[in-house]
Order: sequence, then structure tokens, then C-alpha cells
Amino acid sequence: MENILKLTDMSIQFGGLRAIDSLNLEVDKGEIVAIIGPNGAGKTTAFNCITGIYTPTSGNIEYLGKSIIHKEPEEITKSGIARTFQNIRLFKNLTVFENVLIAVHLRYRDNIFTSALRINYKQELAMREEVKILLESQDLYKYKNDIASSLPYGIQRRLEIARALATKPTLLLLDEPAAGMNPQETEDLTKYIKSIRNKFGLTILLIEHHMDLVMDISERIYVIDFGKLIAKGSPDEIQNNPKVIEAYLGVKENA
Amino acid sequence: MLKNSFKEKININLLLYLGIIVVSVLILTFLDMNKREYIYAISIIERSLVFAVAALAMNMVTGFTGLFSLGQAGFMALGAYTTAILTIPVELRPNVYYMEGILPALENLSFPIPIAVILGGVVAAFFAFLIGIPILRLKSDYLAIATLGFSEIMRAVIASHMMDKITNGAYGLNNIPEFSSSIECFIYTSICIIAMILIINSSTGRDFKAIREDEIAARSVGINIFKTKELSFVVSSFFTGISGGLLAMYMSSINSSTFQITLTYDVLLIVVLGGIGSITGSIVGAFFVTAGKELLRFFDEPLTVAGVNVPLFKPGFRMVIFSILLMVVVLFFRKGLLGGKELSLNGFKKYSRKKEDKGIQVGGAS
Repeated sequence: MENILKLTDMSIQFGGLRAIDSLNLEVDKGEIVAIIGPNGAGKTTAFNCITGIYTPTSGNIEYLGKSIIHKEPEEITKSGIARTFQNIRLFKNLTVFENVLIAVHLRYRDNIFTSALRINYKQELAMREEVKILLESQDLYKYKNDIASSLPYGIQRRLEIARALATKPTLLLLDEPAAGMNPQETEDLTKYIKSIRNKFGLTILLIEHHMDLVMDISERIYVIDFGKLIAKGSPDEIQNNPKVIEAYLGVKENA
Repeated sequence: MLKNSFKEKININLLLYLGIIVVSVLILTFLDMNKREYIYAISIIERSLVFAVAALAMNMVTGFTGLFSLGQAGFMALGAYTTAILTIPVELRPNVYYMEGILPALENLSFPIPIAVILGGVVAAFFAFLIGIPILRLKSDYLAIATLGFSEIMRAVIASHMMDKITNGAYGLNNIPEFSSSIECFIYTSICIIAMILIINSSTGRDFKAIREDEIAARSVGINIFKTKELSFVVSSFFTGISGGLLAMYMSSINSSTFQITLTYDVLLIVVLGGIGSITGSIVGAFFVTAGKELLRFFDEPLTVAGVNVPLFKPGFRMVIFSILLMVVVLFFRKGLLGGKELSLNGFKKYSRKKEDKGIQVGGAS
């Protein structure tokens, strides 16, 4: 299996707090991998390190065999890692169409003169056509002229994923995609994530608290607690791992 | 389908713009032909046009990119002085620089007006580029303070004794060629406004808006926020510099006190009143504020009702009334007159359609 993402001994320290302590993590091509752990365990921090928002204090992050540790977030996106955020970050006052259209920009060459003077008129049409196709495939086209912040919560989540997909990523990072969803919505999301993995040939790394979704969807799971990796393995292995049960799921009386 | 609606939208807006331009040209030609009678109106229109350029430039950086910059007066000063120095007729220069004389290199340096105005914009843009590198890393209020400081430094430098041979120091510059007609002013300003509208509505403009909405999200979709902010700041300053040059032509004589912080506030007032993030708002706001200040002049004149002098009506009262009007507008139109929306034919159509449907949702997308 080809390694897409590899974290070696990655640590990050904020003042006296060691948010992540020597994390080792690997993601292979085409996999769906989940990171779970109690609140404040450092899961989102790990995402922020991978996407360049934070620079790790030590250790290395390799993407497709190359270190991406000192790259800016926008360069990392351009190299093919897209993400969504725990507390949805859409371009709130722009339309659904514009939200996705902006994410398409990075794959087209453009400067202020060619764009302002409409020299690249055809390119603009090509971008719009691409957005249309993507929105239709995600069943969001009917909302295209709606302002992002006016949409229902579930749709906003899907729009954020669609925006990430518009950058044509190879690796998609989803930060708590099912947060705030009811069981039915979570089930739909599970199907949805599987479908985009197959359709776009994605590798997916996700953080999630909904255990149903995690156990159903992921091929491998990493468990983090207090910035340290405490277990990794298949969903079955994780469910029966005493360390995980103790740290994360709580000690059951008749376990 | 998509292509058609996209083109259709462009055509409708294009027609609207062309219509406005034609009507404006007709009105201005009429005014120009009866210049003596309408000199006051022409003056208000020219001033409004110049301020519309400055306001739209400020809106580009503040309303569309979300960078709160208060350096307008400084960039306008750079543009105004550049334009003035390069356009004052060579034979009149000894009279203008009667105290200290003029730098020999500048003595015979003269450019046609359009080129001089553009050079004014280039100088402003160049300074924006330089100071943008350190200060655009600052956020909101801090950026406002830094740009405000820059603006005051520029004014102090221009007025300083050391710059006498270039800027004529505290004496200011006069004999700057005026607009030959209001049409000339209209041509310069409308070119600038159209250029800015094209930029704001392009893919570059969309990147600006993305940064305004959410910087982290913008980076996550591959936008280089530093480069884009710098671009917005430089382009905005370019047009601000041009508006300064046009202001110099409108006023025909300038000195450093023209470019005090109150000038920035005037522009800011137009932007806020018209609607932050609204192109047409800035233009409408420029006319509203400039004309408003003038039309209220009768409040400054003594008023006698039934033989009694109304005590409030004395010079300065109109500014009180004007301020009250502003408060009313801000209270009732929180987001400015146009509140981030645009005046357009499409808008009117949508508005009337909504009224007809009365709450029935128009389902599906066309």
C-alpha cells in the first residue's frame, strides 16, 4: 500500500503545554482513517499541524514522500490536502455558488489584469461549469443562489465538504463532520462520505465523536488521549482494547 | 443554461451602465453649455465624482477585503502632489515656488494631465506596496492605527521645510490646471469607477471577499492571503492616489492641510453611509454627502419668520442638521443606504417579483 500521509514523532508545544507528544500516524491511499479521543486530546491540533496552520515543534510530516512541515496552508491545499472545520467555516455572506467557485480558483492561472479585463472570459465560464457539475453531483445546485449562512446546518456541513472537494484533493481531512447531527443525519453522512471516497478516489482522515459513524466507516482508528497515541487498529480491535475503554469510553462495570 | 444566464446578467448590467453613462453625459453637456448658470451644480457634481472614486477605492480595501485602512488622506496627498508638480504650467512655476525656488530637476518636467494623474496613482501605489509589507500583517484596529499614522507622516513630510523645493512646504501649490469641463472630470472618474467595478466583480475580487469572510477558510482553499491583501491594498491606493490628483485639479490649489485626517473621515463617512461592501452605495453616498452638505446651506443664512429672527439659523447650523441627518440614516439603515447590496436592474426585477409572489417560494434554480 502506498503511503499518502506519514507523521513521525510529531510534537507541538504551546508554552508549557505539550498538546501533542510524539505522534506517529500513517494513512494509506484510499483508506478511511479515524482519529478519536476525548475532548482536548489534541485531535484538531493534529489537523492544524497537517494543514500548516501550526508548525510542529519537532518531528516530521510527510505527504506523498515529501516533508510539508514548513509549508503555508495555501501551499498544502494546492498540493492536494483539503479540509473542513469543526465549527464550520464558510464564506458566510457569499452565495453557495461563490463559496465553491472561490475554491476552484487555485487550479486556474489568473491575475488581476486578465481577470478584470475579462481576457480570460472562457476560463471564468469553465470554472462556473465545473462548479455547476460539482454542486449538481452533491445535490446542492438548488441552493446555488442562497447565502451560505442562511442554509440549514446539515446543508452547511455538506457545502463545506463540497468546497473542499472543489480543490480536487487527494487527501480529505474532516473535522467532526457529524457534530450536531441526529442519528438519521449521521447515517446519511456515513453513506455520503463513503460515496465521495469512491467517486473522487479520495483518502479520508477524520475526527469524530459519533461512534456509530466511526465504527461503520473507518478501516483503521487511532486513539489519542492527552496528546499521546494510546491505541491503533481496526474498529474491532479498538472496541476491545482495555486502554481505550478506560481512557475514552469509560470503565464499564461488566466489561 | 448556465452560460446563457451568465451572459444575460452581464448584458443587462452592461445596458444599465451604458444607460447611466449616456444620461450623465447628456446632463453634463447641457450643464457645460450653460456653464455660467450652473457653475454651482457643476462644482458639486465634480466634487461628488472625485469623492466617489476615493470612496470606492476605500470600499475595495475596507468593504470587500475587510482591511480597515485609514490612510486615504495620505495616499490622496501623494497623488495630488505628484499630479500638481507634474502639471503646473512650466512658465508659472517661478511664481508658485516664489519662496524657495524649485528643484532644478523638476523645473521643466511636465506631463499631459492624464499621464500625470496616473503617475500620481503609481506613486501612491508604490508607497502602499512598501508599507503594506509590514503593516498588512496587523489585524483590524491595529491596521487602522498604522495606516492613520502613515497618513499623518506623509502630511508632515509634505509640509516640512526640507521638502520646500519639491512640495513648496507649508505654502502649498497653486495654478494646478482645472478640469476644462465637467465632461473631462466625468471621463476620468468613470474610467476609474468602471475599472474598480471590473476588478471587484472578477475572480480577483472574489478572492478579496473570501479573505473578508474568513481568513483561515480562505487559506484552506488555497488563497495566498498575504499576496491578495497586498494586491487589494496597492490597487486601492492606486485609485486613491488618482482621486487625490483629481481633487487637486478640482481645487486648483492644494496645501498640506487639505489632506488632514478629516479628509479620510469624509471618505469613510461616504463608505459607511452608502453601505460597506456596496459599489453603488459608495457612488450614491458620495453624491448624498457632498450635495447634502451644500444643499443645507440655507440653514446657515438668517431666517426671519413674521418679523422675528429665528435664533438657530446662523453659520454652522447646517452642519448640525447634517449630523442629525447622518444619525437618522445610521439608525434606520444600520448597514448604510444600500447595506451591502447593489442597485441593479436585476435587483429591481427580483424586488418586483417578490412583491407579486407574496411569499410563495420560487422553487428550483433557473
